[in-house]
Formats: sequence, structure tokens, C-alpha cells
Amino acid sequence: METSQIHRLNRLRLRSNPVSPRLVIAAGLVALFVAIPLAYIFIRALGAEPEAWQRLLQTRIWKLLGNTLLLVVAVTCGAAITGVSMAWFTERTDLPGRKVLRWMLAMPLAIPAYIGGIVHLALLRPRGGYLPQFLENIFGQTMLTPSPFGFWGAAFILILFTYPYVYLLSAAAFRSLHASLEEAARTFGRTPLQTLFQVTLPALRPGLAAGALLVALDILAEYGTVALLRYETFSSAIFVQLSGRYDRSAASVLSGILVTLAVLILWSELRLQGKARFTQMEGNWRPAPPALLGKWSVPALLLVIAVVSASLLVPVVVLAVWSIQAFLDPQTLAAVFRTGSQGFGSYVWNSLWSSGLAALIAVILSLPVALLSVRYPSRVSRFISRFCQVGYAIPGVVIALSLVLLVNRALPFLYATPFVVVIAYVLRHMPQAVRASESALNQLSPSLEEASRMLGRTSLQSFVHVTLPLILPGLMAGGSLVFLTSLKELPATLLLRPAGFETLAVRVWVWAEEGFYSQAAPAALLLVAASALPLYFLLRREQIFK
Amino acid sequence: MTTLEVRNLVKQFHGTQQSAVNNISFELSAAEILALVGPSGCGKTTTLRIIAGLERPDSGFVRLNDRVVVSESVFIPPEKRGVGMVFQDHALFPHLTVSENIAFGLRGQSPAQVRQTVGDMLHLVGLLPLAKRYPHALSGGERQRVALARALAPRPVLVLMDEPFSSLDADLRMEMREHVRRILKSMQATVVFVTHDQEEALYMGDRLAVLQSGHLEQIGTPEEIFHESNTRFVAEFMGDSDFLKGKVARGGIQTEIGLLTEIVDLPVSTPVEVAVRADDIDFHVDGSGNSLIVERFFHGAFNIYRLRLDSGQILHSSTDHTRIYAVGARVHAFMSAEHPLTVFSE
Repeated sequence: METSQIHRLNRLRLRSNPVSPRLVIAAGLVALFVAIPLAYIFIRALGAEPEAWQRLLQTRIWKLLGNTLLLVVAVTCGAAITGVSMAWFTERTDLPGRKVLRWMLAMPLAIPAYIGGIVHLALLRPRGGYLPQFLENIFGQTMLTPSPFGFWGAAFILILFTYPYVYLLSAAAFRSLHASLEEAARTFGRTPLQTLFQVTLPALRPGLAAGALLVALDILAEYGTVALLRYETFSSAIFVQLSGRYDRSAASVLSGILVTLAVLILWSELRLQGKARFTQMEGNWRPAPPALLGKWSVPALLLVIAVVSASLLVPVVVLAVWSIQAFLDPQTLAAVFRTGSQGFGSYVWNSLWSSGLAALIAVILSLPVALLSVRYPSRVSRFISRFCQVGYAIPGVVIALSLVLLVNRALPFLYATPFVVVIAYVLRHMPQAVRASESALNQLSPSLEEASRMLGRTSLQSFVHVTLPLILPGLMAGGSLVFLTSLKELPATLLLRPAGFETLAVRVWVWAEEGFYSQAAPAALLLVAASALPLYFLLRREQIFK
Repeated sequence: MTTLEVRNLVKQFHGTQQSAVNNISFELSAAEILALVGPSGCGKTTTLRIIAGLERPDSGFVRLNDRVVVSESVFIPPEKRGVGMVFQDHALFPHLTVSENIAFGLRGQSPAQVRQTVGDMLHLVGLLPLAKRYPHALSGGERQRVALARALAPRPVLVLMDEPFSSLDADLRMEMREHVRRILKSMQATVVFVTHDQEEALYMGDRLAVLQSGHLEQIGTPEEIFHESNTRFVAEFMGDSDFLKGKVARGGIQTEIGLLTEIVDLPVSTPVEVAVRADDIDFHVDGSGNSLIVERFFHGAFNIYRLRLDSGQILHSSTDHTRIYAVGARVHAFMSAEHPLTVFSE
């Protein structure tokens, strides 16, 4: 029987199985939990006074929309070009040092974009930046250097810290590509370059497009970097409305538009997800032979090193130097390592427990959703699974707005507790847990569970004794991902935290905003290190690092 | 004594026009092996999964030792049926050792008893030295035997096997067939065995049930199925038959290759078709013969010749591997079979 036929039959078989009502109820409750904040934003946006709409429509919205879309398009294209070309260099050429460079190209994921932004800002600021000062000392006069502020600066920084998403996806895709595909193109008379553009890249397109859309969603939600570099987007405008002016109806209107935009992008991404499997590792897979760079080795290496330097080496080195400065200056040292609830230890502890708890909750909530969608595929279960991924499309500022309003109304006992922050993390990062759980379950043959049933275990016992132990590594990966992204989360934490609840991310931000870079550096460095660890374990699971 | 009774099973999957299983009934006695055989998509695996409780039929019932396990009003879940199953992909639990896999179905027994049973089963399938291994460290044939031992360990009323040899190499498959059949017989197990391989079905089954598009075409002993096919489909599927056209005549059937002395209960000059296999037909070179050699297929131990009669009718003939004739040669084909032939009226 042909494989596709078997798959079709298996799907039919799965669909005909009676679904346990408990599972449907559990998955439905999770979807409801995710749905409420989203629905609430739309209700508030539509219910806002007409004056708020009018005022915004006449003035701000168009400018914000233009700014936001411009940044999204520019960063997405930039990250796609950077990511794909870096992946091509490390996976499809004989570039020297590929093994190390692979890690260095992926590791910027551990650095929150706003921390990278802080470093580059300190280096490049027109007045008082390290680079302009350095040039002035050499040439004796003020030299014109590119300003990190505004659109170009924001685009530059965000490309540097989002291209790894595209890099990882396209490197995996390049790697999984069957050698015979390119060989076939060559036998039909295509040159290597024509093969790349006519066969290889089009074959990888669905996966790459999905990666690019994830970047786009990330940029829509980005707050720290754009605020730091004074480029106004929807996210930063909503933040200002919420924290400074405290105009909730304006914030609701802006949020409604932002989320609509994001949902459209997410919808395309989810549609692509299903088609993302043009390439698959098959039994007789063998790697395509690498392109020989020859005399282009040196320029290529320099290009890759430039990207690695800007996105990884410079930020880490600068943070390290600042940290050393902080340790050498007793006054700064005292400010960093205060004791008690305002001490360094409490920031670390707050960061760890809130992100860890969020990871645990997200993974547990993702289980019924993933079980339903993988083991009982149907229109309803697919809808629930996709709906639970809507967190990708709700930027941190919007989740914050929605939770502020909801908690005030419905759950006042939670108000001003750190648990609201944890709920925000869970809502925002649940999609990663859902996807990880689904992919773990997808890799597990249903016949294992059936075998357990045939040997006398109930469906619940089978899940505990067979399914759970086998999907645990996949669940841990999902959990690490949620932990990692929660650790870096800034806007929702800033808006929702109760007074005195400070995490590493918050502290870095507050200190840097006030200009105390060396004071912020140890916390930033620790944040990067704490993110790098789970990232390391996640990356080791990837095919390209094996 | 009847162990399994399957009556009027019907099952249709959502989104399909045709029923996967259409009114299938059969019975199985204790210690009997029934091979369900048919091309892919014929409903054999679905029938097996309904018996297992992994699938619910739309109508019909299944009875195991006087207990109805599924009908329109009853559904006993798979874990309460006492049925063992060997899966196509073996479905060994990768996080458990060989012993632990075999012990998985032995709940509610004392540890000593479990150890005893696991030891017996390992001995039976010849895997005692591999007890502590994990499934990934086993060869295909070893996995196969663990899967069988695991299914047999709880002493199930009925053992279901879903294409258990399909993941093995051809050589190993032959060896495992013999081995598995010997084990099943020594345990006196009652077995429903699913396969798409005719030869495997003929070897494994005490009886065969041939299925096509959800229908049960014929059920019977291997010899009955092979020699006395009820339908054209069975004749074709079980042994690559050609269908030789002819007319009923006095004293036999008149065909292009002469009068076949076959007694049929049909009026004279009724058009019929006779199912003939390559070993039923022989030929010798003859410049004025009735057919031409179109192609020769060399199979090593024998040759298969494709012959075209003057009417265009194609017949196949198998000959000794040393008998080699040129393609295009004119030959005289004749019936060499000495057993009764299956005749279908058109």
C-alpha cells in the first residue's frame, strides 16, 4: 500500500474513534481560557466611545499603522534575507568553521532585542556614544555616524535579533533537502545558481514563509526596542496610553486594530504550517554535496562573522565589560547588590519562579488540546488547536490591557499579585507549548496506545504508563521554550507587576532607561545566561546540531 | 467449539462512499488459525480492529466465547475483551525492556508468577538472552517475536495479528512464518491473521477468508480456496489465473486449445470461462501451432512464457528453467492439468 494511502486510511480510522467527553471538555476549557482576553479586547474596542475612535482615526491611527507596517515589512524581509543566506552558508557550502558558526548564529535568540538595543545605542549614540567619541578623538572633529534612533535603527536592531528564527528553520530545511532534488535539476541543465533559485529555495518556501511570518508577529508585539529607539508603533503607543495617560478606551481601540492585524498574519502562518512539509527526511536521505566557495571563502566568512559580531559577540562583550566596571566601582556594586526584597537575588528568584510556573502551566494546559487534535483529528479539534495558538497574535501590551481590565472586574483577589504576570506569560506563550506537545504526540504511533489497551489498560492508564513517558522530552522542550520567552518578556511584566515585584528583565529596563548601563549590565548578562541554558538544550534537539 | 463469531458486520468511515466492511460474517473454532486475505483496502484490517475493540461497527455483532463484545447496544472496551494483538509496526514500548514489554499485560499477578510467565514466554520465542534489552537494540525478527510473546503472555482467548511480517525482509519473512506458526500451534491459540500476501495466507491459515471491497468472497481451507475458487476474483487474486474462453460441448468444453474434458452442469453451447494457471498449460514448438511466444520471464528455477493464441487470448505457461525458446516462435499450447478446473459461466 502506498504511504499516502495508509495515511489517509489512518486518518479516517482515527476520526471514527469515539472521543472521550472528558478530553473534549478539558480542551474546550483551555480554548475558553485563551479566548476570553481576546474577545474582551474586541468588545472593549468596539464598545469604546465614538469620540475615541474619531479622535484616533483623524490623527494617530494612520501614522501608527504606517510606522508599524513599514517596520514589520522591513524587519521581516531583512531577517528572511539574513537568515536564509546565513543558513545557506553554514549548511550548503564548505565555509570554514561551520560547526561553531552554526551555534553562534542561533545563540542571539538568548538575547532579548531590547538588551541588544541598549548595547548598540550606547555604542552608536550621536552624542556620547562610544563610536562617535572614538572617531572624534582620532580625527579631532565630530564625524557623521549613522544614528541608532528612529526607523533605521529599530529595523537594524530587530533584524539582528530575529533573524535566528528564520536561520534555524531554513538551516533545518536546507539540511533535510534530498540531494537527488538538486541533482535532478542539474541533469536538466540548470547551473548551481539557477538550481538554488529555481528548485532549492522554492522547495523550502513554505517553511521559510512560516518562519518569516513568526518574525512579523514578533515585530508587531515588540515594545522594548521601539520604545528605546523612539520609533512609535502600535505596541509602544498602547503602552503609553496605558502607563502614562491611562486612556483605556484609546488603548482598547489601538489594541483592537493591532490584534486584527496580528490575527491576519497568524492565520496565514497557520495555513502555511500544514503545507510546510515539502521536504522530509526519508529513509534513503543523503546530504546534498556542499557548494565550494573557493576564492569567495574569505568574503563569505567575513560576512558571517559580521552578523555574528553584531548580534552576539558585541552585545556579550560589552555587557561583560560593563559588568566588570560595575564590580570595580563600589558605589555601583552596592546599588546592584542591595539586599532584601530590592536585592539582586530577589530579581533572579522572581524571574525564575514566574517563568518556570508559566512554563509548567502552559505545558499542562497544552496536553488536552494536543491530544484532541492529534489523536482525534476533526474540524472541531483542529479549530481548538489553532485557537489556542492565538497567543502569538496578542502582543504583551494587549494581554496586559485585557488582564488589567478583566482582573479588576472578575477576579479582584488576583489584582496586584504576581500571578497576573504568570497568567499573561501563559496566555502569550501557550502556542509554543501547544505546538511542542502536538509534535511530540505526532511522533508517537497510535498503535502504542492501542497495544496498551489490548493488554488490559484503560485509556487513562495507557496515557500515564505509555504516552506520557514517551512524550516527556518533547514536553520539556515546549516548557523550555515557554520558560525562555517568559524570561525575556518585558511589556506585560512592566504593566502588570505589582509594586515591588521586579524581574531581571524589568530591572535591566529600568536601569538602562535611567542611563545606568554598567549597573544594568550584570542583570542583563545573567538574563542572557539564564536564557542561553534552556536554548542550548533546545538547539541540541535540532537536526543541524547533531 | 466456537470461540469467535462475527455476524453481519458493517462499517463505513466518514467521508467515504463505500463501506469499508460490508456485511461480513464468519466463525472460528478453538485453536484454529483464520487468515483474512485480500488486496489493500478490502476491509481486512478494519474487521480485525472491530474484533479488537479499536473500532466500532455501524451494525452487526461480535461474540467471543458466548459473550457479546460488540453489538448495536453493547460495547466492551478493548482492555476488557481479553484479546491479544500483534501490530503491523509491532508497537513495542520503546521505554520498556523486552521483559517489561512482555510483563505489561500481566497485571494482578504476583511478582513471582509474572517472572515465571515472562520466562516461559521468552523461552518459547527463543529470546531468553535478550530479556534486558530495549526494543531499539533488537533486529526486526526479534521485535516480531517480542510482540508475539507480549500478546500471548496474558493467555488471551483470541490472538489478532495485523500483517505482522510485512515489515520484515523476504528471507526473514519465510523463516518467521514457520517459527510463528509453530509457536501458535504449540500454544493452541485461536488466531485471526490479516495479510495481503496470498502465499502467506495459504501457509498460515487453517482456513482462509478472501475479502474484496468489504465483501467476504469465499471462506474455506487453503486447498478449497486455491482449487475451487467460487468467484473470478478469488481465482485471479489467489493465483494469477488466465481466463480461457470456451463453449460447453458434449463431453467437455470446446476451447481454442482443444476440448477440455471437464464435466459441467450447463446446457450445450453456453459461453464459459475456464480459470487456468501457468502450471496448467504446456506447449511444444510447432510451426503450425495455435499460438506465438510473446515474452519470456526468467524466474531462476523456472520460466514463464506469455503465449498469444490466434484470437488474441493470452495464456501463461511455466516450464523448466532449461527449456528456453525464442520469442516469436510458433508453438502448440495444450492443457496439461490433471485436476478439475474452475469454470465460470459468463
